[in-house]
Amino acid sequence: MITLRNVAAYAASFVILFCAEVAPDAPLGLRLVPEAKAVVGAPLTPVSVAGVARRTTRRVVVAESAEASSEASAQAAAAQQQAATAQQQSATAAQQSATAAQQSATAQQQAAAASGALPLGTVVATLPAGCSKMTSGGVEYYKCGPDYYRTAFQGSNLVYVTATP
Amino acid sequence: MKALHGMVPTLRPLDAARRLAAAAAVAALALASTAPAPAHAQASGVDPDAARILKRMTDYLASLPQFGADTSNVVEVVLVSGQKLQFDSASRLTLQRPNKLRTERVGDVASQSLFYDGHTLTLFDPNDGFYATVPAPGTIDAAVDFARDSLDVVAPAGDLITTDAYQRLMADSTSGFLVGKSVVDGVRCDHLAFRGIGVDWQVWIDDGDKPFPRKFVVTTLDVAGMPQFEIRMSNWTLTPDVSPKQFEFSPPPGATRIDFLPVGNAGAQP
Repeated sequence: MITLRNVAAYAASFVILFCAEVAPDAPLGLRLVPEAKAVVGAPLTPVSVAGVARRTTRRVVVAESAEASSEASAQAAAAQQQAATAQQQSATAAQQSATAAQQSATAQQQAAAASGALPLGTVVATLPAGCSKMTSGGVEYYKCGPDYYRTAFQGSNLVYVTATP
Repeated sequence: MKALHGMVPTLRPLDAARRLAAAAAVAALALASTAPAPAHAQASGVDPDAARILKRMTDYLASLPQFGADTSNVVEVVLVSGQKLQFDSASRLTLQRPNKLRTERVGDVASQSLFYDGHTLTLFDPNDGFYATVPAPGTIDAAVDFARDSLDVVAPAGDLITTDAYQRLMADSTSGFLVGKSVVDGVRCDHLAFRGIGVDWQVWIDDGDKPFPRKFVVTTLDVAGMPQFEIRMSNWTLTPDVSPKQFEFSPPPGATRIDFLPVGNAGAQP
């Protein structure tokens, strides 16, 4: 099931608001969405007119935690993504390219899961279970299995990114 | 229904009754329609009245040395199943031209504040005690672009508050018309509707002597389910607290400084 979380995390990578608002919360709210519910849209709902036009540059996030996943759940996630992709094919090339990036991220993540450690720079919305906190060079890290994570803002969302202490 | 839909923007000049009928037709379509309206049914061009009313609002906001407003926001998210969810948030916006801005989420389970003092931009998450501070351009207009392009922090109201908001909004808008009068949160407004590339947007503007925007809706056309973002603005004030501490961030004891990830960080990258 953890694999499905990458979709939720992708959603959480959402937009953020600044001036008036918004989106800081969207990610938080989205994290409450059950993991089995994938989110359509890449990148989710633009919150500005300019945002719609400039979406193609927006990032697509997220890979999964190293503890990820039975093959079955991975397949379920892939199936959901394919469904999302099918819906998106009626949409724009920008979306299709975002979807491709998402699939690429998923592939990388699955490869990483197989090897037991995530590539550096992998971004997740939530830490896997069983992490311990440590400080190195004045920076806090979470050690989770073979991986170290540091906290960062991605847009206005708090995320965790794999790093080397 | 298609015919009606196509008629709406072409009824120019509309008298009041016809505008009402047109608005009703639009509303009925919005309720009844399950299929996206064909783009070719839309007339092209921006109605001069719509352009004039929009520009009056953006010029007015640009002319104000400072202002504050409360915002209430709803963003829709579409699940793969087609089910649509809405997420609400509320914020307080304080702006002082040319280079001070603060937004603060209020009354929410989670909170987040953004500080821009003309030199740096800080995003602060007080619940978790994290903040990130980066150098920023010297004007609000440039900072809005910087935040979007370099930080992926998107300013929806940024569409409205920059001094060149009219040009920004109209740059890619292919059509626009005055739907008619409407009342938003008890305030009589002009309701405008525009179409851009992949986006429809609407704005409701106070029709009195202080033409504040009261509501702004962005509809994304090329995402399944056409999700919308809506922002309502109220409690406008011309005399907000603009003391320096409103815009300058001082990390509270125990807060942890973190970084913004580079934009374009897609998936796993070394």
